[in-house]
Amino acid sequence: MLLELRDIHKSFGEKKVLTGVSFRAESGKAFGLLGRNGAGKTTSIRILMDVFPANSGQVLLDGRPIDYKKVGIGYLPEERGLYPKKKIIDQLVYFAQLKGMRTPDAVKSIDRWLARLGMTEYRGKRLDTLSKGNQQKIQLVTALAHDPEIVILDEPFSGLDPVNAMLLKDVVKEEIARGKIVLFSSHQMSYIEEFCDSIAIINKGVVALTGDLYDIKREYPRDRLAIRSTQGDKIAAAFPGRTSEAENGELILKLSDPGEKMAVMQSLSRDFDIDEVRVFEPSLNDIFVEYAGEQE
Amino acid sequence: MGQFSKIFKFELKGYLTNKVFVGVTAFIMAILAVVLFFPRVADLIKGDDEPDEPGAVEPGERDVMLVKGGDETVRSALEQAFPDLEVRLEDGDVRTPVTRGEAECAVELRGLSDFTYYVDNLSMYDTNADTVSGVLTELYRLAAMTEAGVSPEKAQEIMSTFARYEVRSLGVDQGQNFFYTYIMIFALYMVILLYGQMVATNVATEKSSRAMELLVTSARPTSMMFGKVMASCLAGFTQLVCVFGSALLFYKLNEPYWADVGIMGMFFDMPVPLLAYMLVFFILGFLIYAFLYGAIGSTASKLEDINTSVMPITMLFVAGFLVVVMGMTSGSVDTPLMVACSYIPFTSPMAMFTRIAMSHPAAWEIAVSVAILAASCVGVGILAAKIYRVGVLLYGGKPKLRDILRSLKNA
Repeated sequence: MLLELRDIHKSFGEKKVLTGVSFRAESGKAFGLLGRNGAGKTTSIRILMDVFPANSGQVLLDGRPIDYKKVGIGYLPEERGLYPKKKIIDQLVYFAQLKGMRTPDAVKSIDRWLARLGMTEYRGKRLDTLSKGNQQKIQLVTALAHDPEIVILDEPFSGLDPVNAMLLKDVVKEEIARGKIVLFSSHQMSYIEEFCDSIAIINKGVVALTGDLYDIKREYPRDRLAIRSTQGDKIAAAFPGRTSEAENGELILKLSDPGEKMAVMQSLSRDFDIDEVRVFEPSLNDIFVEYAGEQE
Repeated sequence: MGQFSKIFKFELKGYLTNKVFVGVTAFIMAILAVVLFFPRVADLIKGDDEPDEPGAVEPGERDVMLVKGGDETVRSALEQAFPDLEVRLEDGDVRTPVTRGEAECAVELRGLSDFTYYVDNLSMYDTNADTVSGVLTELYRLAAMTEAGVSPEKAQEIMSTFARYEVRSLGVDQGQNFFYTYIMIFALYMVILLYGQMVATNVATEKSSRAMELLVTSARPTSMMFGKVMASCLAGFTQLVCVFGSALLFYKLNEPYWADVGIMGMFFDMPVPLLAYMLVFFILGFLIYAFLYGAIGSTASKLEDINTSVMPITMLFVAGFLVVVMGMTSGSVDTPLMVACSYIPFTSPMAMFTRIAMSHPAAWEIAVSVAILAASCVGVGILAAKIYRVGVLLYGGKPKLRDILRSLKNA
């Protein structure tokens, strides 16, 4: 399956929120939707889920306008929240029913998910008796219990301890392996990098960058070297104004021309005590800051 | 339709398993049981003891009424008129015993046609002076007639003759209908206010707990709105049926014991057609307000905002209630104001019902009123669902009416 948003425009009153947003997400792969706060991610997701219509543009599944009656969508909203005073099993069944499940099927599926997430003991408890992390796991069940073809996870890892984060990672990997379209939205770039094959960066309602993450990284100008050395000061002095320090302590040297890569590498290893020198590949974080950074 | 019935069931279950809801209903029913079974129980207890006649009180235990300037005839006549009091003749000062509490009250006569009544603290319900006046007037007239040559027996007969009469109402008896109309109107008032607030709070809770984030992606706003409102309507109706049904049941069980309290009969002697009208106006009135409350609830971001947000609707409703109650107590329910109110959808449930109960509006008037109300209900329901659709996704400050209207256009 191929989910595609094509040229979506949306304004609320005078305010333009989305201007020609397009991206595609494939089944069996995870897709990362990135953007700063207020960039238009949630609006894109809501249009994708038919909460409100776009002013123009299309949501397509395999090239045809998506039929919401037939395609199941699971959603983990960034703003978490269920009914605090109601029993967990009652509300999970309710949400599964709203998604079109019959009650016995819903109960069966929910019990399976509760067991998978280690939450069976809380089945008959009220939601507000649970810790925040556990509430989030319950919320995850509402997104997955009806076995949707499209799973949308908005900041799924925030608020989870490392053990639960690991559990969620496994669950997400299983869903991807089962051929689901998994759509991530997150600010935690490390998770996106770990899961997502393709991304879209939305900035001020416009898609600033979209495509295969590996290709994006490959196409990035290969005009910088990452150097690990004890003689950082001396190297910086030898290339005045062309060096900077990366987050991990490596020295980044900008080349005046990608073609001089070999020559510079050779001269570095000849003149200085070098532990490691390689072509600098930007992290997703660097790419994100570059494309979504200059918003102010 | 599928989603509607699921939401309806979920919401209804929420009401029926709500401890406060069940508790309050059971509490009211228990109070009704206590009140309506009281005469039967009291009778049982009394049956074991000595009969509790008012005259059986010992003379020493009775309060004292002092009479100054009267004779034995006056004393005995007053004692007959006040069986609870011991009437004593007194020549000296009568005020001091009253102020000291030695006597309940005192009467100082200046002849049979002029007296002063003394009492320590004058109660609102103290009608003793009137009674004394009646007794003395009778004595005076008897004396006057005897003086004019009428025999005492003849004079007695003349004095004790009153013109007999009976009242036959050719329309409705407002005096009798007043009580149950008032109770029904008040029940309508309470239920609409209570459940309206509950619907608004319910919507705002879903919003503030962010359950709405998931709900809007799972169900259509119209289904949500109608499911919620219908469920609260049925819950409110169930509660009313429980309360009124149990009251009627308890009354019927104890009817013989209430025979001498006529007012009870007035409460429960409701004609069946009126109950049917009650049902119609209850449902329609409830729906129209519940839709409004639901729409308002959807625009509030925080539960604290609810009270101020629903104020305009509550004021509108209270104003309608006051107009109707004022019309009822003034005795004329067909004033131009009441007639106008019985067609305006937001006041007609109470106003038209009152007119049906306490007057006799033409059939077409009732039909027009119900038709306007039903049509407005549908209109308000659709509008409320639209506001709801926009409102549930608005967070932040309290939205202004202008913002909501503007976003309605874009929705």
